[in-house]
Amino acid sequence: MTRAAVSAETADGPTAGAAGLAESARAVLIGQVVVGVLFLGVWEVAGRQFGHDWTSLPSLIAVRLATWLIGDLWLHALTTATEMLVGLALGGSAGVVVGLVLGRSPVIATVLRPIIVALYSVPLITMAPLLILWFGLDLEPKIVLVTIVVFFLVFFNTFAGVAAIDGDLIASFQLLGGNRREEFQKVVAPASMVWILSGLKIALPYALAAATTGELLAARRGLGSLLAQAAHQFDMTGVYAALLVLMAMGILVSEVANRLERRLLRWRRAAA
Amino acid sequence: MPPRDAVMVADAPARDPRAAGVPKIELVGASKTFYVRGQEVTALQPVDLTVGDQEFVALVGPSGCGKSTTLNLVAGLLRPSRGEVLYDGVPVTALNRRVGYITQKDTLLPWRTAAANIGVALELQSRAVPRAEAQERVAQLIDLVGLRGFENHYPAELSGGMRKRVALARTLIYEPECLLMDEPFGALDAQLKLLMQDQLQQLVHQRRMTVLFVTHDLGEAIALADRVIVFSARPGRIRAVRDVALPRPRDVFKMRFTEGFGRLHEELWDELKDEVAKGVDV
Ligand SMILES: Nc1ncnc2c1ncn2[C@@H]1O[C@H](COP(=O)(O)OP(=O)(O)OP(=O)(O)O)[C@@H](O)[C@H]1O
Ligand SMILES: [Mg+2]
Repeated sequence: MTRAAVSAETADGPTAGAAGLAESARAVLIGQVVVGVLFLGVWEVAGRQFGHDWTSLPSLIAVRLATWLIGDLWLHALTTATEMLVGLALGGSAGVVVGLVLGRSPVIATVLRPIIVALYSVPLITMAPLLILWFGLDLEPKIVLVTIVVFFLVFFNTFAGVAAIDGDLIASFQLLGGNRREEFQKVVAPASMVWILSGLKIALPYALAAATTGELLAARRGLGSLLAQAAHQFDMTGVYAALLVLMAMGILVSEVANRLERRLLRWRRAAA
Repeated sequence: MPPRDAVMVADAPARDPRAAGVPKIELVGASKTFYVRGQEVTALQPVDLTVGDQEFVALVGPSGCGKSTTLNLVAGLLRPSRGEVLYDGVPVTALNRRVGYITQKDTLLPWRTAAANIGVALELQSRAVPRAEAQERVAQLIDLVGLRGFENHYPAELSGGMRKRVALARTLIYEPECLLMDEPFGALDAQLKLLMQDQLQQLVHQRRMTVLFVTHDLGEAIALADRVIVFSARPGRIRAVRDVALPRPRDVFKMRFTEGFGRLHEELWDELKDEVAKGVDV
């Protein structure tokens, strides 16, 4: 009884605080909107006053975005998103598997270490031209690039996560009767989950960057190619509009990642 | 009518499980030395120790004297530096999965709720049972350790004593024939501790388990064990062994106030107090 009462009490604590937090969050939001509107206003007025060949105007950008939205913006966004997601899935799962396995096989890990470090020392984005030569102008070279970038980030994190697992946790699980496969499934993988997810989170903006960089260099579709086309025609409004779309996409992606992480790591909330 | 407790102490014959043939656990001159950054640390001097089938043996001794090390040897988590550790007469050379080990340190899986932690063994191939049965047994164990209402709490949301009880339950659930327990009730409050001792005593009797039990609490050792072994300060060796000739079933709530208990407690404390003092000196 008393225990239940105590835990109910502590559960009340955060809720009471949450009301106050929501209050101040609203104030912050209002402040941010005011600053944003001011910024756009100054931009618009100054642009009209002093010329806007290089800076474009918020109103022009808005019109352009609207035209794109009715037009084929979705096609470009979808292309970039596909490259990202496929690359994330491939590179992410490969990174997790290799990270877990090498993490649990110290000998192989020691042997492979110099090779991996050497490979990772190549600035990966600079492989884009090579990949385009190999795989052509469509989705494939970008997917490969995203895959490679994501693989390394997720691999290194997973590997570190496995290394950080408490050996006693594994020993006691083995004593309970777990075999090697179960040990991976029920201890090693979930214990590394925090690290795997943080690796994936770090990889997200890099994945977007890798996909767009590939498109900037050579592509028929994708947000990167939209940006490149605009830039080649000195169409500043197009450049800004494309950047805005990329920004929105980046925000969306990281928001999704945050939610996913919160859901998967529910058990950690109490620990924090 | 004489007080019930007095009768209990007077003349019930001590049971002698060692008559039952091969001992369950046997340490023969087993010692353990660790090497820490080039330095030798002797955790355990050669120890001879026998635990008969269905016997309940308690180890007491000052901190750092090698009690946990002894249990680790029996569980096969460590190999002895010298001597031998036998289980059912066979040397322990790999993990000993016939024992259930409630370790001193917390080894619950933090991403599983209390119920899921308790049921984990039954999900494993080697101990698999049908899902419905597993659920039922988890519910039973939750009741047994008094954690109803906390099934869905994660370890980080439980108190230290509650986590210990989850650890106990997740071991008891697969009904091992032998329990190694390292201060399982150390983190519990006095009343709960007595309750748990009582339940453990009943369960051990029902399931005919063999128990090797480490504790700091001399009273607990006497209340539960057939035999109490006092270790010396580090490096540990056996300083004294006393049979606890108190009849069973025992009343863990009241036996502290009996004469037989008091005498034994005093005798063992005399052995222990010097060692505790030494342990502090070091
Ligand atoms: N893995 C290890 N590596 C190095 N030294 C160790 C290791 N495990 C134990 N020791 C040392 O062995 C000695 C005995 O340790 P042990 O854990 O068995 O003590 P204990 O009797 O269980 O103490 P406590 O009552 O405090 O739990 C200690 O001095 C400790 O420093
Ligand atoms: Mg110990």
